[in-house]
Amino acid sequence: MIANLPRLHAVTDDRVVGDGRVVERAAAMAAAAGPALAVHVRTRTLEGAALLDLARRVKDAIAPHGSWLVVNDRADVARAAGAQAIVSGRAGLGVRDVRRVAPLIAVARSVHDAAGARAAAAEEADFVVAGAVFETPSHPLAPAGGPDLVGAAAAAGRQVIAIGGMTPANASGIIEAGAWGVAAIRALWDAPDPAEAARLFLAALPATRTVALVVNGESRAVSEGTTLAGLLAQLGLDPRAVVVEHNRRIVRRDGLGDVALAAGDAVELIHFVGGG
Amino acid sequence: MVTTVTAPTVQDTPLEIGGRSFHSRLLVGTGKYKDNATMVRAIEASGAEIVTVAVRRISLDRTKEEGILFHLDPSRFFLLANTAGCYTAEDAMRYARLAREAGFNDFIKLEVIGDQQTLLPDVAGLQEAAKALAREGFKVMAYTNDDLITALRLEDAGCAAVMPLASPIGSGLGLLNPFNIRTIKARLKVPVIVDAGVGTASDACATMEQGVDGILMNTALAEARDPVAMAHAMRLGTEAGRAAYLAGRMPRREVAVPSSPSRGMLS
Repeated sequence: MIANLPRLHAVTDDRVVGDGRVVERAAAMAAAAGPALAVHVRTRTLEGAALLDLARRVKDAIAPHGSWLVVNDRADVARAAGAQAIVSGRAGLGVRDVRRVAPLIAVARSVHDAAGARAAAAEEADFVVAGAVFETPSHPLAPAGGPDLVGAAAAAGRQVIAIGGMTPANASGIIEAGAWGVAAIRALWDAPDPAEAARLFLAALPATRTVALVVNGESRAVSEGTTLAGLLAQLGLDPRAVVVEHNRRIVRRDGLGDVALAAGDAVELIHFVGGG
Repeated sequence: MVTTVTAPTVQDTPLEIGGRSFHSRLLVGTGKYKDNATMVRAIEASGAEIVTVAVRRISLDRTKEEGILFHLDPSRFFLLANTAGCYTAEDAMRYARLAREAGFNDFIKLEVIGDQQTLLPDVAGLQEAAKALAREGFKVMAYTNDDLITALRLEDAGCAAVMPLASPIGSGLGLLNPFNIRTIKARLKVPVIVDAGVGTASDACATMEQGVDGILMNTALAEARDPVAMAHAMRLGTEAGRAAYLAGRMPRREVAVPSSPSRGMLS
């Protein structure tokens, strides 16, 4: 889990990038949202040098406020521009290959269903950008997965940034479904006052207080108050098929709902496999 | 035409371990099969009732279902969890407690391995874990060397069965020291199950001929070219060896004795 992963993601597309006011608007949002904001530089129209130039100008504009620069797909540009994260699309490089190019940058995968989220977790992506959550003009043919998509993606165990038709009005339900944060294009960049739009988004996001655990040797995070029973549910595990050890102490099936997880807990989830 | 006649056989008693009775003296493992369907068919062909399983972490990416119980019906077999892979008494006890919590039974196949290359047991750790687990109510079946003194100490520690090896785990070398196995069987009151090392049906037969109460195998089936056919052969070998033991073999002589009458020869 990345504890300081921004919760509001201002994602660009070719139209926003071509608008001419993108750096100025990014700066305004960064001033309003600070470290809670990530600006994604994402366009198919700019080649390497021009893309890097744009990424650097965005970075210069938002870095003083602590906001993140995220570059889509181009690991080389992300590294050269000093981005904090890179999002690899469906056809993009695998997470491990991105890390070869840019070893110190957080790597996310763009996913569209639970299977994609599990695949991203398997390749150890740091977080996923999951969508489309609601119908959106930027992807008119993408089926909207709603809170179910967000819940399924979160169950894979990686932080989820929800994208697709997100507005301040529908954001809180999506956070409750398990998202860490939200991403938007139109609702931010097309707003008459993008800084005010960013503030409205952040005000609409309920707090996600999380605790970091180690589950079967892997680092994971759950929201505060999650019990062992809740953890199993998030992982899609049937409690009847699992033996649970919590900080070296076995917890009986009927007690799983009584044990709330705390930071630093070690959980082992055990079952029978073939053996001699 | 020759017809097969089922001869009346020697009446055997059931195998009794820790207060439970079992009809098959062949115990089989579930590891290393190339696929689960083959494993299930091999276990069926072996006639085994007790099958061993290992205790491991669940894979958190739910893309594959690797739990054995998705393939093996726990109501049809007696699941004997092992502590394979444990190198200390403490680890083995932790695995045993987790296994018991799965809720099937309180039997544990206790392994405390002392050496990675030979997988030979750490007999000191084994005795320590056996004693502690027996005190906690476990029915401990301890995998051990073919060493009488260790076997006696394991019995004293409260083990429900002692399981000396025929040869190292997964080696297929067969019964290396029949004398030691016979000596252990002669001195112990609890059942003696030979665990590990058999390679083929004649090994199973020779092992059972020593008079031991049962035999446990895994690799000999899983790594046979045809695991299902080998399981059938092992069942026959185990039964043949047991029957031969119960029948009582003829004495060994260093001279020939004719089988046909010496009288009545033509002059």
